[in-house]
Amino acid sequence: MSELTGKERVQKLFKKEPLDTMPCFSGQGAVVVQAIEKMGTQFAKIHTDARLMAESAITSARLFNMDAVVIPYDMAAVAEAMGRGISLYENADGVIYPTVPNKWKTLDEIDIPEDYMKKGRLPMIDEAFKIIKEEAPDLGVGAWVLGPFTLAGQIMELDILLKGLKKNKEATADFLDQVTQVTVDMVKHYQELDVDFISVRDMGSGTDLLSPRMWKTLVGPNLTKVFDAITCVPSVNHICGSTDMIIEMMHGCGADALSVDQKNNVVETREKLGNDVLLFGNFDPYNTLTQLEDVKEVEAVIKKCVDDGLDAVWPGCDIWPEIKAENMETYVKTVKEYGKKASPAVGRI
Amino acid sequence: MSNQEEILAELREAVVEYEEDDCAEAAQRALDEGVDPMIAVMEGLAAGMEEVGVLFDTNEYFVPEVLMCADALYKGLDILRPHITLEGDAPKASVVIGSIQGDVHDIGKNLVKMMFDVAGWDVYDLGRDVPLESFVEKQLDVNSDVLAMSAMMTTTMMGMKKVIAMVKEKNPECLIMLGGAPVTRDVANLFGADGYAESAGNAVSEGIKMIGRLREFQKGDIK
Repeated sequence: MSELTGKERVQKLFKKEPLDTMPCFSGQGAVVVQAIEKMGTQFAKIHTDARLMAESAITSARLFNMDAVVIPYDMAAVAEAMGRGISLYENADGVIYPTVPNKWKTLDEIDIPEDYMKKGRLPMIDEAFKIIKEEAPDLGVGAWVLGPFTLAGQIMELDILLKGLKKNKEATADFLDQVTQVTVDMVKHYQELDVDFISVRDMGSGTDLLSPRMWKTLVGPNLTKVFDAITCVPSVNHICGSTDMIIEMMHGCGADALSVDQKNNVVETREKLGNDVLLFGNFDPYNTLTQLEDVKEVEAVIKKCVDDGLDAVWPGCDIWPEIKAENMETYVKTVKEYGKKASPAVGRI
Repeated sequence: MSNQEEILAELREAVVEYEEDDCAEAAQRALDEGVDPMIAVMEGLAAGMEEVGVLFDTNEYFVPEVLMCADALYKGLDILRPHITLEGDAPKASVVIGSIQGDVHDIGKNLVKMMFDVAGWDVYDLGRDVPLESFVEKQLDVNSDVLAMSAMMTTTMMGMKKVIAMVKEKNPECLIMLGGAPVTRDVANLFGADGYAESAGNAVSEGIKMIGRLREFQKGDIK
């Protein structure tokens, strides 16, 4: 039997069908400077041009033998489309991700335009998906969106939002409903683009910020609405930071897979959720891929992820683009070699 | 309970219960009844915030509650601080603080800033998304004792290293504090910083512990 393509491997993983080995991919940003240098461009330019975005994603995957790509790279696109602006840091040294400069400061100011999907960089990102699908049919293609709570924090000031959860409950809940509808529209849109998976990242909603009780009433129900809207593409519920106290509620939101970062106790999570749940994570991408001096240490980190019971070894957050090439190579190689054994939810051919 | 103890307890409770109006009233009462405003700040407001730190560490309070407690604290501080006098001619200690370029998050930075405000320092808050050279320029301009920078995301913290190198080269005496979710003690050490606070949450605990350290400095020790 011929070797599976990256796309096939990713698709089979989500169907829990037997694999040749564990796929190596991410639902978080995975663009690396080696690809950007090879293309002769700059980090600040790959966020605004469909060809550069698509090419940098494909080149990053090809250079390191990843099974899938995921775009876009920054979390400002939807807020920008709503008229909140964009800072691209074109003249800054090194790698700085785009940010939103003009968040709404009060609930009263919020005015989400009806046609936001046609504004800012969102049409350009659609074009980048089209290029990737045409030029890299062998790679899996992932889209990601911010979960409602984190998106809310991108379009209005986070401290006002957090205090509003306690001080101005009804109006804040209404606002979160509105933002949930935006996330629902976004996932339906990406579903129509026929991507291979959609990762919903509500990274600002872990218990580093919110109590489990607040998560249960204000985050979980909205995430459930989002996952209910994803009907024909596999979905991932990703939250970084502290998730041990909410992991069962995360599971209850209805995604096909869960993704957590290095703060999660995966062994305990596996015990809580059982072996049938697809679980991704959970290494620290900055430390593992840019800091560790010895590739043997990288290998140990990745093997521990496999041994702890993950079905795919995902970075807990965006891969910091300035990786050490040898660390990235070791990450991918270890996943593919050590991942030949079956994971809890997915068997092997 | 003496009058002073009663007022201090009111201040503490107002902070812990995030009651802004009660905090302002208790602060005014402290002034009216002749309580030393510095004692009102340290044994009332700051002590209340220490209780908040415990509630946070034990997962009883989370960041929304802490932010509201901070709002209450500032209501009291705004009333008390103009009445605090410096001892002799001692210069006040000063800090330049901000979130690094590329980072539009400032919750952790504001919590740490609060502790410097409580301790009576001169605080030069540069805000968020601050260009690297602005930190250096401001620090050299005001010759602050401390430079405090925060980065919420891994993707922005590398800028800190550059600022530290620039400041330390020209002003090696300046203490540098780093804060933010991706900043670990190892990263702080690697970048040449003198202290760190791990996250917005830990900034609460760390900021509270800092009060003790600030007292040790004895610079601008407030009467």
